[in-house]
Amino acid sequence: MNVRYSYLSQQFGQIDELLEQIRAFVKTGDFTLGAELTKFEAKFAKLIGADFAIGVGSGTDALKLPLKALGIGHGDEVITTANTFIATAGAINEVGARPVFVDCGPDFCMDVSQVERAITKATKAIMPVHFTGYMTDMPRLQAIADKHGLPLVEDACQAILADIGGKRAGTYGVAGGFSLHPLKNLNVWGDGGVIVTSDAAFADKLRLLRNHGLKNRDEIACFGYNSRLDTLQAVVGNWLIDSAESITQGRIERAAYYDKHLGAIAQLTLPPRYTDRRTVYHLYMVHAQDRAGLQQHCLARGIECKVHYPIPLYRQEGLSHLGYRQGDFPIADAQAANVLSFPCDQHLSREEQDFVIETVRAFYGVAR
Amino acid sequence: MAGSAALALPRRALAPREVPYVALNRQFAGESAALLTRLQQTLASGQWVAGPEVTELEGRLAARLGAKECIAVGSGTDALILSLRALGIGPGDEVITAPNSFIATASAIVQVGATPVFADVLPDQNIDPARVAAAITPRTRAILPVHLSGRTAPMPELLELARRHELRVVEDAAQAIDARRSGKAAGTFGDLGCFSCHPLKNLNAAGDAGFILADDAELGQRLRRLRSNGLVDRETALEWGVVSRLDSVQAAVLLERLPALDGVTEARRSNAHRYRELLHGMPQIFMPPCRPEEHNVFHTFVIQVDRRDELQEYLRERGVGTAIHYKIPIHLQPAARALGHGPGSFPVAERQATRILSLPVHQFLTPPDLEYVAATIREFFA
Repeated sequence: MNVRYSYLSQQFGQIDELLEQIRAFVKTGDFTLGAELTKFEAKFAKLIGADFAIGVGSGTDALKLPLKALGIGHGDEVITTANTFIATAGAINEVGARPVFVDCGPDFCMDVSQVERAITKATKAIMPVHFTGYMTDMPRLQAIADKHGLPLVEDACQAILADIGGKRAGTYGVAGGFSLHPLKNLNVWGDGGVIVTSDAAFADKLRLLRNHGLKNRDEIACFGYNSRLDTLQAVVGNWLIDSAESITQGRIERAAYYDKHLGAIAQLTLPPRYTDRRTVYHLYMVHAQDRAGLQQHCLARGIECKVHYPIPLYRQEGLSHLGYRQGDFPIADAQAANVLSFPCDQHLSREEQDFVIETVRAFYGVAR
Repeated sequence: MAGSAALALPRRALAPREVPYVALNRQFAGESAALLTRLQQTLASGQWVAGPEVTELEGRLAARLGAKECIAVGSGTDALILSLRALGIGPGDEVITAPNSFIATASAIVQVGATPVFADVLPDQNIDPARVAAAITPRTRAILPVHLSGRTAPMPELLELARRHELRVVEDAAQAIDARRSGKAAGTFGDLGCFSCHPLKNLNAAGDAGFILADDAELGQRLRRLRSNGLVDRETALEWGVVSRLDSVQAAVLLERLPALDGVTEARRSNAHRYRELLHGMPQIFMPPCRPEEHNVFHTFVIQVDRRDELQEYLRERGVGTAIHYKIPIHLQPAARALGHGPGSFPVAERQATRILSLPVHQFLTPPDLEYVAATIREFFA
């Protein structure tokens, strides 16, 4: 059985209605900051529970623009996690600041207890990453940030509709950045991102920054970027956004089913499961003994399992100038050596999940 | 009786007519069936980022324009930012450019941490090589000429300056796809050439899009990783990068339209030629001459006139859409305050900013449209 990682062909198998909408849309020529985008932004803000949403070119830009709007630049430091995707640190670097890493906890998110140690006079913001769809311990992090007068910008790229006690990812900080990349839980047909904020002045600044700093057609308030979510992509987003909740629920149900069966295998360790936080399983990641062996075994049997990520960010060649050394972040290192992600999307069938479970059992020689 | 009624009415020599400045909806009405079929194919493939359409488009553009490498990116602005970064230009460096471009030219320089240094322009609105020479300092690392309106900047002189002072040349060819000078395409003169395929450009996507031309394979490789988070494979980030990839769906739109580009350019050139005939001999209007070595693609058709704002209003009232590219020079924008310029810093560009007016020149104009616009202008100055 082939258990694919990407489900896009299934998700967009029946799109006649969407193509009709695209057909109508392209005839309007309303391609840049158009009406469909405004509609999408309003829906997105409502979905997350923020006052404003600003559509931008990518999830990376959804992190970069808030930093820029905070005035963060050369000589400044931004604290983030050592195990995230390159784009988090890339956004910090892009504005000229220096990423300062802290290790992660067993839930792949920032170990909040280590943050205060990393704060220096140059620290200008904290960027927690809700990695794999887990929520960072935001109440605790917020208390630390408040104590030091530091703004929080949340990397919620993998965590749409995750929450703690009903308060959603992206609504804790001054801004939250989301990705709409084709492989994200809520996705469009190319690169795209959204920033949410409930600060009206901050939202205005972000709107300027994404559109060349243009106050109107002729006047430029500040140097900015070109980072607008294509209105064409917003048409796709509008078509999908009403399903965001059912997509999330589909992932949570599949994760629970895996948990029940994979959790019983001694050679696998599940990350902690919380009852007070909603985890949205952008990635379903487990710790595996003999990870390389298990991955080979699964791949050979048609299961597209992946490693997010084999080299922790802080050890990437491109970041060597930051001066970190192997061993600086032992949890991130340990996880890089043993994590494995299985397909866990809303289109995955029970048969496919059973096949994954059976294949893993067979590898470890575990009876049903 | 009839005679006195006619006298009581204002003299109306021209039958009113709507001539819009842009006509994207007409473009789509004519092509949307084929376009949708192609989009459907792209979507079915599921490869929406860095798909085969992007590779095909890059190959076709490189071949068409005569460059070894083409790197598709998210926008024309990003094409400039990534080019400057790929050349190692950053804090402490100066880049010489024109003050009369779209803001993105200067903001790209600012966003890489360098300082934009402006040089005033020629009567044809392109950068003046003599002013560039005067602006060179020990910190100058590059010249960033803009092929404004689809007319190539004076590249031979600029390249000579660059050679003598060991400067890099990044061309802003956002408005100049297929423009040529002595047969050589805009965007292939310098180290890197930057293009935009924004919906309002001659070759246009259905959203933001851009690309870079390069002849140096190593620069090409670097740009490819810079546009995708600095990643050389799924796991390894060799350096800091950004996310600026052309969506496969936009590449599909551009592939569908590329075969029509010759026709678009020809229509714009012929419209411009017709305006020149129709407006010929009017002392109130300056139209920069087209030199024999120039093959201009008229992304905009710009006239320079006194009483510009009045003329624009007069045309608007009579159904003719026009635009101004650009009303406020970059050095006088609030964003540029920190650079310390003021009125009088670049007098040629500043004077032009008060006189320039872009007439509709798109490929959907008809001969009566052009005649109506010209006649309305003549009527205004009569």
